[in-house]
Amino acid sequence: MTKTVRCAAALLALLTAPAALAAGNGDAGRLKANTCMGCHGIPGYSNAYPTYRVPKLGGQSPEYLVAALKAYKAGERPHKTMQGQAASLSDQDIEDIAVFLASAPGQP
Amino acid sequence: MRAIQLLVPLLAMLAADAAVAGDVAPPEKVTVCAACHGADGKAMQPIYPHLAGQYSNYIEQALREYRAGVRKNPVMGAQASTLTDADIRQLAAYYSAQPGPLYTPGIHPAQK
Repeated sequence: MTKTVRCAAALLALLTAPAALAAGNGDAGRLKANTCMGCHGIPGYSNAYPTYRVPKLGGQSPEYLVAALKAYKAGERPHKTMQGQAASLSDQDIEDIAVFLASAPGQP
Repeated sequence: MRAIQLLVPLLAMLAADAAVAGDVAPPEKVTVCAACHGADGKAMQPIYPHLAGQYSNYIEQALREYRAGVRKNPVMGAQASTLTDADIRQLAAYYSAQPGPLYTPGIHPAQK
């Protein structure tokens, strides 16, 4: 029984590993993320009308950040500025930016 | 005796304070969120966002957008549709108060 479980776990790990590895390049993402930092790089920065703080992105997973950017690009999230930003990004740009932001350096 | 009478409410106040300072009590509906976002706000799968330490008014905004159907996600839309304004405030405050991995990225001079 335990052997079956271990085999299944190993198999599952093998199957999920390639998907878990993001295709993005963090070095390329660092340059492409410059615009992002105008809002997301300022601690406590607020969106105006309605007023709420722009989310912290450091420490999120690249997978989630990719999904969020693609949702903005597809118009599935309503924020106009983010839709505009995401519209200008290719899938590769999105992957690169996500990998960079997920583990970007913190505040200097 | 008088001292004890004074001490008891004082201790109760201190205990209540500690409970508030340490944690916002988990709202009842957190059990649903926890399946994906974790009871402590650390996501169970990389495709789901961490909520621990995220700004509470951002979480509130996201939940209101899901509830209104303007932020489109089948799972979150269904979940958010069951939430009242009070639920949204409580869940956001709870998750925002949890310690977690989120931070604001910075631009360092050497990296520009």
